Amino acid sequence: MISEENLTLYYYDDGLTPAERNEFETALESDAVLAARYAALSRELQQWSEPEIVPAPSHLKQRWHDSIDQAAKSERASERRSHKPLHFMSFIWGVGLTAALALGIGVVVFLADDGTRDIPIDDMTVDAGADRAPGIPASFTRGLQVHLQDSQWELANLNNDTQVDRTSLLIQIIDQNRMFERSADQNNAPQVARLLRAFEPILLRLASNDIAPADAEALRSQLAFELNVMLTKIANDTSNKSHST
Amino acid sequence: MHLFPKLILATLALTISGTAIAQSDDAEQLKIAALEALVSAPDEKALPIVSKVLAGDHSDEVKSRALFVLSQIDLPESQAILLDTARTAEGDLKHQAIRMIGIGGNPDALKGLAEIYSNGDANTKESVLHAYMISDDVDSVYALAASAVSDEEFESAVHTLGVMGATDRLRSLPDRPGASESIIHALAIAGDYEGLRAYAVDASNPERQLEAIHGLGIVGGEEVGPTLIEIYRGTDNNDVREAALHGLFVADHDTLVLELFRESTNSEEKADLLRILVMMDSDAAIEAIDAALAGGP
Repeated sequence: MISEENLTLYYYDDGLTPAERNEFETALESDAVLAARYAALSRELQQWSEPEIVPAPSHLKQRWHDSIDQAAKSERASERRSHKPLHFMSFIWGVGLTAALALGIGVVVFLADDGTRDIPIDDMTVDAGADRAPGIPASFTRGLQVHLQDSQWELANLNNDTQVDRTSLLIQIIDQNRMFERSADQNNAPQVARLLRAFEPILLRLASNDIAPADAEALRSQLAFELNVMLTKIANDTSNKSHST
Repeated sequence: MHLFPKLILATLALTISGTAIAQSDDAEQLKIAALEALVSAPDEKALPIVSKVLAGDHSDEVKSRALFVLSQIDLPESQAILLDTARTAEGDLKHQAIRMIGIGGNPDALKGLAEIYSNGDANTKESVLHAYMISDDVDSVYALAASAVSDEEFESAVHTLGVMGATDRLRSLPDRPGASESIIHALAIAGDYEGLRAYAVDASNPERQLEAIHGLGIVGGEEVGPTLIEIYRGTDNNDVREAALHGLFVADHDTLVLELFRESTNSEEKADLLRILVMMDSDAAIEAIDAALAGGP
């Protein structure tokens, strides 16, 4: 089954190989349910479309680059740890896609919480269309939000599924979670990566067969809270960024 | 713009200080909703409220949610409270506080976990390892593995290194009697083909060799097949051959098993290989069955 994340990437013509796009097009022609999902997603994403981006003057671009360099140095100084390669075996399959995603989950909003508060944000924006760091497409922020919202919805409806469906669904969520965690690492957004890593043991526990219903409910409730907080934080930071322009 | 956070703060303050409010589910849910909304408030305003919740007479669930909010507050005081809770709390709250230190990723708080680990029970130690995993703190996990005082501690730390993909650290662990099995398992978890191959082709320690061959099967991939074939062909040890065959089965290299079937001149061995092909539900099995029935190679 084609995930919401991949549909989103297809919509934005970003992060998919030509072969994958062809595969999607074929699937869209032959699968009515998928076509309906894609149409609904397109409508939703169109509502979020941004005003046309006006190219920034070259002197401002230079200032952005300086700001990014400064932020990167600050982040490196505050982080003694080096980024590790793959954390889990099953990351391997996702390397191709995550490499594309590496262009940037728009989680730059979290950087401010990792010791980069001194970035001259105002210098980084020139108009309503340039309210985020260059090189980090907004589509990836939305990709992360969609992933978290989907996870939230799916977890809320877990009880309606059989154990086999539940396990399969949770494994899908875990796979996508790992993909975004890897992307967050690559985009120098360690706080997001840590949060996503923290979700995994809970998801794995929920996927196991031997968990008592009360324990499962408690874990779902905890995860719902943490996902909500994460979504709220992303929304707030994005909103703050917009208002700072 | 600022009205909503203020309202939320007011609601929260009322909720958490209102001792008259019954501890009903609704009140509990309201507290949790207020805590969730608190993430919108400035850190300086949120911190005292969260601290008050943690110090107050609230359920573990509410306090646990407060700990998560605390982990999102980027102030030194928040990390100090988390560390203090991790040291002094009992049961689930203690484990949650440790987890939140991992999520927070503050280097000083992470250092503080070392003491909690050394004084803690098995569950606490496991929580600390999880926190290090969440924060990607390979150095700390390596230090715990290298200084482990029991086999259980060593195995848990090594397993965590495997989950973290810290293959270099796994290979550089100091010698420890009976440690190779844990390390091989961790290398398999980390998907470290090269590390496993080194053990798998080394016949000086048969038990370790068998574990490594199993590990190669789990890791899988194109490069694993030829290595397992090389091991299979290069040994007279039946256990090693069986392990290599099992590795090919697990790694789903049916064409290589068919290759072994074709080149074998031993009917007993051919029967074993045929059984494996059938178990693999492979098209190659049909070819092999055809060949066996036709009496050909």
